[in-house]
Amino acid sequence: MKPAPFEYSVAATVEEALGLLGEDSRPLAGGQSLVPLLNFRLARPERLVDLNRLHELDYLRQDGERLRMGALTRQATVERSPLVAARWPLLAEAVRLVGHPAIRSRGTVGGSVAHADPTAELPLTFVALDARFHLRSPTAARTVEARDMFLGPLTTVLGADELLVEVELPPLPEGAGTGFAEFARTHGDFAVAGAAAVAAPAGRAAVAVLGADSIPLRCEEAERALGQEAPAPEVGELAAQLADGAHRRALLAELVRRAVERARS
Amino acid sequence: MRISVEVNGERHEGDAEPRTSLSDFIRHELGLTGTKVGCEHGVCGACTVQLDGEPVRSCLMLAVQADGCSLRTIEALGAEGEHPLQRAFHERHALQCGFCTAGFLMSLEPFLHEHPDPGEEQIREALAGNLCRCTGYAGIVEAVEQAAREMGADRR
Amino acid sequence: MTTEAKGGRVTGRPLARREDARILDGRSRYLDDIELPGLAHLAFVRSPDAHARVSEIRVPEDSPGLIAVLTGRDLEGRARPLPIQAPEGAEAADEPHPVLAGEVVRYAGEPVAAVVAESRALAEDAAELVEVDLEPLDPVVEPSRSQVELVRWHGEGGDVDGAFAAADEIVTGAYSLPRLAAVPMETRGAVASYDSAGDLLTIWCSAQDTHRQLKQLAAVLGRAPESIRVVIPDVGGAFGSKGSLAPEAAVAAVAAMVLSRPVKWAEDRLENFVAAYQGRGMRADVELALTSGGRMLALRAKVVADLGAYLLPTTAIPPHTTAMLMTGCYDIPAARVELWGMRTNKVPTGPYRGAGRPEAAYFVESLVDDAARRLGLDPVELRRRNLVSSFPHPSPLGWTYDSGDYRRCLELALELAGPKPDPEAGRVAGRGVSMYVERAGGQFESARAKLERDGSVTILSSTSPHGQGHETTFAQIAAERLQIDPARVKLSFGDSALSPPGIGTFASRSVAMGGSAVALAADGLAGRCRETAAELLEAAADDLSWDERGLHGADGRSLSLAELAAVAPELESDARFESDLVFSSGAYAALVEIEQTTGRLHVSRVAAVDDAGTIVNPLLAEGQVLGGIAQGLGECLVEEMIYDEEGQPTSASFADYSLLTAAEMPPVAAAFVETPTPLNPLGAKGIGEGGAIGTPAAVGNAVADALGGRRLDPPFTGEKLWQAMQESGPR
Repeated sequence: MKPAPFEYSVAATVEEALGLLGEDSRPLAGGQSLVPLLNFRLARPERLVDLNRLHELDYLRQDGERLRMGALTRQATVERSPLVAARWPLLAEAVRLVGHPAIRSRGTVGGSVAHADPTAELPLTFVALDARFHLRSPTAARTVEARDMFLGPLTTVLGADELLVEVELPPLPEGAGTGFAEFARTHGDFAVAGAAAVAAPAGRAAVAVLGADSIPLRCEEAERALGQEAPAPEVGELAAQLADGAHRRALLAELVRRAVERARS
Repeated sequence: MRISVEVNGERHEGDAEPRTSLSDFIRHELGLTGTKVGCEHGVCGACTVQLDGEPVRSCLMLAVQADGCSLRTIEALGAEGEHPLQRAFHERHALQCGFCTAGFLMSLEPFLHEHPDPGEEQIREALAGNLCRCTGYAGIVEAVEQAAREMGADRR
Repeated sequence: MTTEAKGGRVTGRPLARREDARILDGRSRYLDDIELPGLAHLAFVRSPDAHARVSEIRVPEDSPGLIAVLTGRDLEGRARPLPIQAPEGAEAADEPHPVLAGEVVRYAGEPVAAVVAESRALAEDAAELVEVDLEPLDPVVEPSRSQVELVRWHGEGGDVDGAFAAADEIVTGAYSLPRLAAVPMETRGAVASYDSAGDLLTIWCSAQDTHRQLKQLAAVLGRAPESIRVVIPDVGGAFGSKGSLAPEAAVAAVAAMVLSRPVKWAEDRLENFVAAYQGRGMRADVELALTSGGRMLALRAKVVADLGAYLLPTTAIPPHTTAMLMTGCYDIPAARVELWGMRTNKVPTGPYRGAGRPEAAYFVESLVDDAARRLGLDPVELRRRNLVSSFPHPSPLGWTYDSGDYRRCLELALELAGPKPDPEAGRVAGRGVSMYVERAGGQFESARAKLERDGSVTILSSTSPHGQGHETTFAQIAAERLQIDPARVKLSFGDSALSPPGIGTFASRSVAMGGSAVALAADGLAGRCRETAAELLEAAADDLSWDERGLHGADGRSLSLAELAAVAPELESDARFESDLVFSSGAYAALVEIEQTTGRLHVSRVAAVDDAGTIVNPLLAEGQVLGGIAQGLGECLVEEMIYDEEGQPTSASFADYSLLTAAEMPPVAAAFVETPTPLNPLGAKGIGEGGAIGTPAAVGNAVADALGGRRLDPPFTGEKLWQAMQESGPR
């Protein structure tokens, strides 16, 4: 399966990249999601704008209490980061489930968010952690909360001429525990359903699921229960109500339960 | 487009359209056919090579993206004398048709480098990125364990 | 892996493979590695509809790199449809697969037009410009809704009706196995090159053997077989799916002849999922008549196979094999099997690892467990009471099982499996057992053994390996008989210009048939060496002793093989080995656990006991078993080719069709029982398919056990199991 022909540009700076993006030109980051679509001829952009030389967007650092990751940060970098393992363990846990090591060598944090695959672990994790996404267009910059970013399958609020440049994470609440659980047919396969939990005092707890809808969802009822120290199965049952279908609900209930127990251990 | 890539320590120049995959470039433009193509959507792992030291799916990279980079392919293993992984694969019958083998070896070399003393479960998860339809993986797992032991012994 | 040496000096030893070195070094050469000067590339325009009338095809005048477009019309007079092989006693409809579609397309993915261009990418670009006008017709997706019988077969033996009338118990069951994709890691392909001066068509095929490719291509092209040379390069797996000629390969041949350029078709993965023939796709309604004491009296079965749109050469064979094996390992005196192979608007089916045997084992073994439940008997005990125990055993359906020790296989499998353990919290546990018997070998194969100048030996074999390790195994066979180091035996396979005649590599037949031919050729060569040495040493042939150093006379004079060759060049021997079918068998056991909250199935252990007669190389034989088990487990856990109501394949990439990874594989305890067959000089049967045959039946029975007798068909997805547990309530 060979792609349809396209023009190709390498962006040396973010400004240059922004100048090249548009309706018929798509950005190429890690390529782990886009290239298969090109190979299947399901994506047929006239131009690809290669972002991989934008080293200015490849960084992972703590800024005060917050984590800032440039959009071109490789998933493997996140996986290996002692900072992430120590301060944002949910992210460390989730990134290990993204595909396989060879995928994570190239796949980027920003690419995963922008691609918005309904089964992707990173969007789910960022929604659970109340991430903020920094976007830029040729003329403006804006910040989008994680909850507002994802609109539908493979669809975000990103405009055709916009780039995600940074993912910012707030610190976890003091003493919070986190847990991630997913159900995939085989190891590394896409997740049929998944759950991310942050066990923290009321108001700061988080329960987010994938597989209930075409975008990651937070469940306020479940979060209230989690914040009030409700038993894990109860939290699971509440979150499961987001899904349709008896088996899907059972799956989600179980995955949320596991994520919560992990978070509390 | 003209691109320049270092492959297995040697500089190569070649022509590639933007849409030419790195796997096709390696195989047909450079004539290094040891790297195989199994799916062209990044799942089977047969096309795995190493780019600047990291395992990557060459079917999911455009050749033009590798311009100026350093690649390592299965042919490197062949040229350097027998690697413990090659010996272990042979002794533990970790290959049958052989089509997936190059991808496994290119994935396992960096894995063992980063995890020199892996447990069985860790090995199995690491192997999950490469599909094999012939062996049922048992021989491959044993081969990794054997190679890890041998490489660990060499380090001491 | 337990691989102890047994048997002879060289045979029976777990020698590592000589084939490995070039693969491990990256020097292997598979089909797509072949480059020829002036090579052109093929891509296909394939039907988007499952069933439609083709009213017009318009080809682009121009497209970058476009060389030619071929349609069915262009093939008239150049290519006939693929020939059909009807199994013995079966009626087969005259519905062959056309090389390119005619007026009607009958499955989504059917090749309609062929585009030749300077590169595959350019061929795909041009293919998008080909316009095919289709008038949709109603597709038939369910075999039960089909009106067209492609295959019909009936088999019977013993007094079936009398036995059912006299029975104390009649147990019935309905079981079904969905279609599967073979998914070899290397897709199919062909490179065709035509030498007009010599009128020789040379074609490299990623295929299981030269013989069937050659025969079928000769029939399709209407050419004399001598005018075609088929070469098999390294092949990245096949599992039955590269046995028949691919229609696309025939197109490559025609294109090469018409365009006077070599043409390559390198199938991509999407094509392979959609257009390579698939496996399984059968269901059976089965009835077993028993005494109240558990003695099996008779079996009746109705088997319906979802054959797809056309009969490829081997489409009819798996269902026939299923039907013939329906008495399984049991001494059932009477049986009747009706078989219908129905046309549907899907890609055809054909042999896929097991090729009818896993289906038979699944149908029979599921029924035996259900019968045990009905009679209140332990399922193992019901088997014990009915196993065939004397050989040769003629089954009422017509085949004669040559040898076996089914009882021993069963007891050993139980021992290796161990008892059903208490499940982890929140899970239910099950244990299942299955037996199988399968046909292997048959027809003939041949070999030539030649003594080379340096005293080494070259064996030309008619078989053709694609991962099984024949290069090593056959070297062991020859080396043993010639008393030389296996490293001194060179094997040559897979070139119709050089290889001796044969039938092919399939049906677990290569060691039994090809290996036996090698043994006879080696024996023949040994005989000629002995005679020649006897003359030179002035001794009686029988008085010579022979060891690794050569042949020795009683007076102390010796000749090494190299010395013999120097004096008597061209010492060689041809052998052809013919035999009836041999029957491998085995017993499998599986331990499973099912998570009650999610329905997820965990297979915690598989015990595999296979009787393939004499084992020549236990390391390689075990590799075959383990590989087959992985495919059998894939069938149980995740694999299924799904078609929607429009006949569209919805699992047409790895995104939807999953293969198990190393992380899903359970521990396997494998062992061999060896009851040699009397039917060949090695005593060998076939081991290539046992793992795929025994596993689904054992896992199916384990799942039913875990669910308290509730019977489901594979794949045993979380959703199916969870649903079943909801319906039957907590255990």
